[in-house]
Order: sequence, then C-alpha cells, then structure tokens
Amino acid sequence: MKRKLFIFSLLSFVIVSFRSVNEIQFEVPNSFPKPVYNFSKNPLSENKIQLGRALFYDPILSRNNMISCASCHSQFSAFTHVDHALSHGIEDKSGFRNSPALMNMAWQKSFMRDGAINHLDAQSLAPITNPVEMDENIAHVVAKLQISKLYPQLFFKAFGDSTITGEHTLKAISQFMLTLVSANSKYDSVMRKQSVFNEQENKGYILFKKNCSMCHTEPLFTNDEFRNNGLKIDTTLNDYGRYRVTKNKADSLKFKVPTLRNIEFSYPYMHDGRFKKLSQVINHYANGIEKSKTLANELQKPILLTANEKVDIIAFLLTLSDKSFLFNPQYFYPKEIFSEATKN
Amino acid sequence: MLLSFIAFTNAINAQSASTIGFSFAYGSRVLNIDDSLNLPNDSTFLRITELKFYISNIRFLKNGEVVLEEKNSFHLVDANQIIPNQILVENKQNIAFDEIKFDLGIDSITNVSGAMGGDLDPTKGMYWTWQNGYINFKLEGTSQLCKTRNNEFTFHLGGYQQPYYCLQTLHFKTNNSSTMNFKLDVQKILNQVDLAKTNHVMSPCEEAVILSKIVANAFNLLQN
Repeated sequence: MKRKLFIFSLLSFVIVSFRSVNEIQFEVPNSFPKPVYNFSKNPLSENKIQLGRALFYDPILSRNNMISCASCHSQFSAFTHVDHALSHGIEDKSGFRNSPALMNMAWQKSFMRDGAINHLDAQSLAPITNPVEMDENIAHVVAKLQISKLYPQLFFKAFGDSTITGEHTLKAISQFMLTLVSANSKYDSVMRKQSVFNEQENKGYILFKKNCSMCHTEPLFTNDEFRNNGLKIDTTLNDYGRYRVTKNKADSLKFKVPTLRNIEFSYPYMHDGRFKKLSQVINHYANGIEKSKTLANELQKPILLTANEKVDIIAFLLTLSDKSFLFNPQYFYPKEIFSEATKN
Repeated sequence: MLLSFIAFTNAINAQSASTIGFSFAYGSRVLNIDDSLNLPNDSTFLRITELKFYISNIRFLKNGEVVLEEKNSFHLVDANQIIPNQILVENKQNIAFDEIKFDLGIDSITNVSGAMGGDLDPTKGMYWTWQNGYINFKLEGTSQLCKTRNNEFTFHLGGYQQPYYCLQTLHFKTNNSSTMNFKLDVQKILNQVDLAKTNHVMSPCEEAVILSKIVANAFNLLQN
C-alpha cells in the first residue's frame, strides 16, 4: 500500500513538473495591447510550438502531400505569397484572393479577408479543406499523421498522448502561428527611443497619423475591423468581402483592414493583389477612391497628397520592416525535426 | 466481459443515472440509413444516407426550476451506428424531476472558443471550414423529387450568430423516469419541405433557421 502511494505521488510529481517545466509564458511587446487569444485554453510549450512548426511546413496536410502552409505563407515575405495577385494551391489551382500575411495573430479577433473564421484554432481548417488550396479533410490528415513515423512521438512529447486528434493538431498549428510576433522594426525602436526617424520618415509619420492611422491603428497598424476602402469591384471575381459571411448589405465590399507591418515585403497588395507597388496603393487612396454606399467614413473626404508627400509616406512605411522577424531562425523550415524522422 | 458491462450500465441506470436514447423513424417505419424506404404509393424512391446531430446542454427540471445539469454536455448522435445512441447522465442523489430540456446544436460561446475535443473534435465531420462553426444537424439522402446530381438532397443546418442562429431548445414533460427514449420522425421534416425546390441548405441562412425549427418539432418522447 505504501509503495503504491509512493509510486502515485512520484507519478503526480512527474506530471506536474511536465506541465510547469514545459509551459511558456507568451511575451507581449511593451507597447502592444492585451492579446485576444485565450492562452489558458491552449498554454504554450516548446514541444507544442515545435510540433506546430513541423505541421506548418509539412505538405502532409494536403491531399497530394505537395502543399504546405508555407507554400502560400513564406517567411521572407512576412508569411504571405509573393508574386501572385491571387494565391495558388494544389495542382496550381488559383484561389480567389491574395493570401494574407501572418503576424501578430494573437491580437486578431477574426481571420481571413472577410473575417469568416472566428478563432485562430479554426483557421487552419479552411486552407486544409479548400479544393484549390490543400483539398484535404482534417479526419484524413489525422489518420495520415497517426501512421507516420514522426508525428505520434511529437504529439506525445507535446500533449502527453500519442493518439492524434483534430483538436491537438489545430492547437499545435495555432501555437506556432502565435509565436509569429513582429514588434522590432525601426518604427518600434524609434518608439522605444533607441533610434530616430530621418527627416523624410518623420514627415511621412506625421502624414500617416493624419490620413491613415484611423484604420491602420498603432501599434498593430490595424484596427482589426472591416472597411470598404473604395476599390472598384473586379467583375472577374465579384468579391463582396464581408457580405459573403454576414449576408448583410451594409457589409458589402468590406474587407478586413490588414496590418502594415512588413508591408515592404508582403506585396502584392489588397484582397485581390491588384497593386504590385506601394506607390500604386498610395495613388489609390489619393486619386482612385470609388464612391459607393458602404465606403468607409474615414475615406469620405479626399486625401490630398503632393508627389513628395506620397514618397514621404512610403519612406515611413518602410520603417515598419522587421528584419529580426523576417529572418528569425525560430520560424525557419524545421530541418532538424524532419531529418530526425528519416534517421529512424 | 460484455455481459458484465451491460450489467454494470444497468446498475447505473437503476440507481444513479438517467438514460436518454434516440431512435429514428419515417412515419410508422423504422428508419435505416442507406435503405430505400419503398413507401407505398410513392414513386420518389426516398433514401436517407446520413442523419447526425448534436444534443447539448442537457438539464432536468422540477416545477420549472433546473435541478440537475450535465457538465460538458455535448453529444454527437449518429443514426448510422450499430450501437444504440444512448446518453447516460449521472444522477447520484436520485434528484426527482418532471421535465427534461436539451439543445439541438451547439451554443454560440462554444462556436467561438476554438478547437475542441471529444464529440466536438472537427474530425467528426460536423464542422464548417470556409466559414467556421459547428453543423448542428445533418440530413442527407436521395429522392426522385430532387432534380439534382444523383437526385441528392443535403441539409447541413447551423449558424451561431443572429439573424441566423439555428440552435433549438427542446423540452418535454416526463414522469421522473430513469429512461427516456426520443424518436425523431424524418417524415415530419420532409413533409414540410418541397424537395423539388429546397434541396441544398449548407450554410447559415434563413432557410436553415426555418428548417431547424421544423426538425425540433419532429422529436417525440416515447411513453414507456
């Protein structure tokens, strides 16, 4: 009886230490608000983050085992799909929107250009299932992971259970995405008073605060809301944005306001990738606004900018590039995890 | 082993739990998934190929007051199961009740709370992906009335936000019985649907709300 008790208390000690040793506190950058994501339901741990990183880079999530999350979300472009106005997935099939850049996910209330997804954990299901993205289903993904050499042990390390579930798969991918925090640009160091803007950047910042920051609110550079930003509808796509989700006419042509962090690298721009250059974006706001019933209040008055002022704003936007994010080795392809699997 | 398990569950039933069971019918006939119903005077060749739904938030009442609630009360009921669809709710103190309430579907808060396990795991196939949220109720089949591909009809009902909130609360008076068997009569649903016109409802919308109410009215508590 005593021996049993001893083993039991030893076991519970091991379980408690497994939890406390592995749990990681999510670090909120100084100027950032409280995260939206509820970490108490999915506490971060190094093993879960690494499992999520492996899943993010593994094409096993797609029907033909060829497309991974990283196919459309590559780190060097702030985790979006460069060069293509509309991102393409399995068998080069084209989607109908430009993939969003992934960063600062913990502060987002909804996901996708139209906010169709209400929680980060549910986000990955959309590309996994979409017939032009990965064309798989989560039950089959779980079955493939379960018979793989690599994943039962990674899930065991992460969740203490080698039986793989949809819940654990999605939570692990969330964990990796939650670590994609960009808060170390020149702008951030200026705000921390460790650096200064040059004259042009400073002029640009003043113009930005006057004309852009109502929607692209600091420090996340988005208010995380939906706006019609006056783009003329592309009749080859007829994408009415948020209306598709709510079926409410007041939401017609509204799209989620994207962050401007790392904008230098996340081209092309807009939900349909219609602009390749930042100068085209600025010209749209200065000269190209299409009036319609749902046009954002913030854009009712014209934004008047001289040619020089447009360049100043771009100079400021370039201070939002965060090299320590774009080249952070913690986000790289997890060579070491995958090579471990081929060794065994 | 199996016998002792049955004996064990029976013991729970008798002393400290309530059993809620579900069966499926088409009018007076037993409904079996994938079997042609071969109805007399009917040329529609009706066949039900899928029937699954969530039952949640089970609570028992006495004189209108909740006296017993099941914790983590989420159950996926699937008509295509060999094992009878039975839910055991613990009632250790043998609390007396005269009414049972439960929800058909998944509440809003759960719908916005991320990935869940057990019967709520997205691998169970009751989850929308392009616009996330639980499917409360699935009914699929074929009928000659549907001029669709392979004469198929598909009803995936759900929606957790107004104005397309689809969750339905069902309540039944009961005589404090430890076993309650509910029957879902699919004929009651299809009698109110013009399959020639309405045969595909697969997202939160007004039709989904109307159909959810029709489905809720197709449940009956069988008297012992």
